[in-house]
Amino acid sequence: MKRVGVFICHCGSNISAVVDVNSVAEAAKKIPNVAYVTHYKYMCSDPGQEEIVKAVNEHNLNRVVVASCSPRLHEPTFQKTLQRAGLNPYLLEIANIREQCSWVHSKFKDLATAKAIALIRMMVAKAAENVPLLRPSVYIRKKALVIGGGIAGMQAALDIADAGYPVVLVERDNTIGGKMAMLDKTFPTLDCSA
Amino acid sequence: MVAASQHPNITLMTYSEVEEVGGYVGNFRVKIRQKAKSVNHDLCTGCGICWEKCPNTILNEYNQGLNLRKAIYIRFPQAVPNKPVIDRENCRQFQMDGKCGVCKEVCQAGAIDYEQQDLILEEEFGSIVVATGFDLFAWEKAYGEYGYGKYPDVISGLQFERMSNSSGPTEGKILRPSDGKEPQRVVFIKCVGSRDDAKGKSYCSKVCCMYTAKHAHQVLEKIEGSEVYVFYIDVRTPGKGYEEFYRHSLEEGALYIRGRVSNIIPKNSSLIVRGEDTLLGRQVEVEADLVVLATAMTPSYGSDAVARMIGIGTDKDGFFEEAHPKLRPVECHTAGVYLAGTCQGVKDIPDTVSQASGSAVKVCALFSVDERELDPLTSSVNESICSGCSTCVLVCPFKAIEIKTVTERFYGQTLQRQVAAVNEALCQGCGTCTAACRSGAINLKGFTNEQILAEVKAACL
Repeated sequence: MKRVGVFICHCGSNISAVVDVNSVAEAAKKIPNVAYVTHYKYMCSDPGQEEIVKAVNEHNLNRVVVASCSPRLHEPTFQKTLQRAGLNPYLLEIANIREQCSWVHSKFKDLATAKAIALIRMMVAKAAENVPLLRPSVYIRKKALVIGGGIAGMQAALDIADAGYPVVLVERDNTIGGKMAMLDKTFPTLDCSA
Repeated sequence: MVAASQHPNITLMTYSEVEEVGGYVGNFRVKIRQKAKSVNHDLCTGCGICWEKCPNTILNEYNQGLNLRKAIYIRFPQAVPNKPVIDRENCRQFQMDGKCGVCKEVCQAGAIDYEQQDLILEEEFGSIVVATGFDLFAWEKAYGEYGYGKYPDVISGLQFERMSNSSGPTEGKILRPSDGKEPQRVVFIKCVGSRDDAKGKSYCSKVCCMYTAKHAHQVLEKIEGSEVYVFYIDVRTPGKGYEEFYRHSLEEGALYIRGRVSNIIPKNSSLIVRGEDTLLGRQVEVEADLVVLATAMTPSYGSDAVARMIGIGTDKDGFFEEAHPKLRPVECHTAGVYLAGTCQGVKDIPDTVSQASGSAVKVCALFSVDERELDPLTSSVNESICSGCSTCVLVCPFKAIEIKTVTERFYGQTLQRQVAAVNEALCQGCGTCTAACRSGAINLKGFTNEQILAEVKAACL
């Protein structure tokens, strides 16, 4: 059975000043497969994340929807939270009710609230279809290629080499040094450049 | 430079170019072309007799065309490696059917090898740092008011650097290219090709204010009684010790004029520089012996090919795009590839060195583990309905899909047919293949057709 938990974030007042989080929470309770709903001032904070871990365990949740900012920002954060709660990180979905809702509809509070509910409904439906995914891993060959033998390439090659890894430094000209070696003195200390 | 060449962990490959990059993070397959040097560097002692005796001379690109070099040459006295190569395009031996051979005759070490061929090396790497650098804006093609490069005494900042450098064409003396005389009055023009939407680039080239202040100081220091005029739009000195440095050049006597130069006209042996002083609101005219242009930095020639080869995005000006402008400034969207220096955007030496060290740390962090987890949100093929049409192979921007042959039993017969296969390490989960697949056989994990339709249904409620 799918048991989805919905966690609505206020983002301080970034979301809650526009979207009526209380009525969003009430509406979310009626969405199919939703087993638990709560809202909190900062879902990404330590106590916010603990709220998720606690709810997953207490209410036996197996899918999580966080309604908050863009997944580009905190998807990795909440994936780790799910792992701590014992769930596969890919059973998480983020409903973006900040960038795609409160920030762009700040003048239309009622409509923004309705849109937030719709976004959450969509992500709950998607989360119900989610399956656990495993991260494949690849072997890492410990040898670096640096393309370009100017000051940037030389510095990177030296730092990697100093850490003990082999480096191949490729330069198309017949000397390294790049543009910097062409200069006379360098500002602001006027030390030589070659 | 010498530190890099002597480090036991660094293999230096000069006169070489990367030709092909395949594979993925941890396992890049790279083809490198070592161009024929025509000199056996194991035997060569770098004595210099070959380039002394070489009869052919061409314009020296390294000195920005201010003097000549030989066809067998090193770039500058401290070059690393300090051994010559033959520029075959300008060598009589190669261009006139072997009718020279002077360098081979004079070489005591027997190091000259006209038969040497390009070598192709194939190697695997775990990570790539791209540091392809910059070139200068080609002002000769854009700025008619400065003479399109017709006047020999209108030079670029890099030409000034080569003259001022003691290993350069004038051994450190600042001289007029036209008659070799020491200039008394030098005019500097800033923002040539930068901050100029009409003829150049819209961006500020960042380093020109500071190197012009340095050039002004060098003129005033090296030429007694000299005068320096600097035409500028703004003076930008955001850096540690930068404002103080600029102030110092003012105190030394550099005269800054706020305004653009409208044209440069030759008069007898000097140049009349006409411009506007926007602070005084009037036209000014300076009779100059030498004019130095602070030209903008642009991405290095050929960097677009490197970007395509590795799969790096570029911005509107051709600089390589970082994964995030603030939080991931040295990473690319392609995992395992990092950026260092001016290939990513204009920057000065301290910033370049910082970014290079930053990218080195990223490489070391990657190398600190034996295996690395990848994102599982990749495409997967339902082989039972894949028709093997190859459309997905053609549309995949990451070359992550190949066609493979599967064997299956069908009504008692053994059949072979072709299906698509996704390399999970190369796939970046963009979804292009799933949209292109006519039989609906490819699905993107985490964004399957079923999941997206469920979303759509919920939205339509």
